[in-house]
Amino acid sequence: MSKILVADDSRVMRQIVVRTLRQAGYGGHDIVEAENGRDCLEKALAEKPDLILSDWNMPEMNGIDCLAALRGSGSTIPFGFVTSEGSEDMRARAKSTGALFLIAKPFTAETFQEHLAGLI
Amino acid sequence: MTIAPEMTDVHAIVEQVWSSFLGDEEPLLPAYDADGPFGADDAWSSAVSIHGGWTGTVTIELSKNLAFSLTRLMMAMDESEALDDAEVADAVGELVNMVGGNIKSLMPGPSALTLPVVAAGRAAHSSDLREVSRFDARWAGEPVRVSVHSPS
Repeated sequence: MSKILVADDSRVMRQIVVRTLRQAGYGGHDIVEAENGRDCLEKALAEKPDLILSDWNMPEMNGIDCLAALRGSGSTIPFGFVTSEGSEDMRARAKSTGALFLIAKPFTAETFQEHLAGLI
Repeated sequence: MTIAPEMTDVHAIVEQVWSSFLGDEEPLLPAYDADGPFGADDAWSSAVSIHGGWTGTVTIELSKNLAFSLTRLMMAMDESEALDDAEVADAVGELVNMVGGNIKSLMPGPSALTLPVVAAGRAAHSSDLREVSRFDARWAGEPVRVSVHSPS
């Protein structure tokens, strides 16, 4: 069983992401939740998940700073953004910092399947 | 000339967000209420601002009934489960975050999106902002207004 870390400052959105993971066929995995980028970074280093799905725009520490800090620590945990913004400059920034993908909200279970295939 | 998102774009974004998270069983119907769709005592509102290549504020106002209904739907809760204000604020804030994020992607960048601000009540805008786009709709008979304001 793999472990997935879901980071979003909105509890509603964390629930929707977890529900969509289940609908996409990833319901059998352990889910760990984080409520901002700092929490995500701490849980990523402590829990060593197999995949991180993170919002971008969060208080305390945003998603891109969390990813940069994670990569700076030497972690190679697969990391994808699930965020309300999908502009080209953000996609480029996500990729150059080490994200595998950026899923723009709103999303469907099929979108998750498309991006998560082969990762876990 | 002021650059502003087209009403048809705002409509399309709201439809997409709505159907993705609230389902297609109940359609979101465009409405045209010249005097505003609801009173201040019966409303919730949320707003995000965009700053950078384009600057503006995206606001969602909706009836209290609709705010509570969509929160239950987004959280997969049934009618018997009690809701608190924090859950409603979370859901209504996430809606404007998604709509605002998608509008940001349509406008000239780079720019930054603020975290959502949510209130129980109507939204008020300062005099240096003017409305550049508005979409009024009803869902299950309950009103929702999405508006975009930009510096005049």
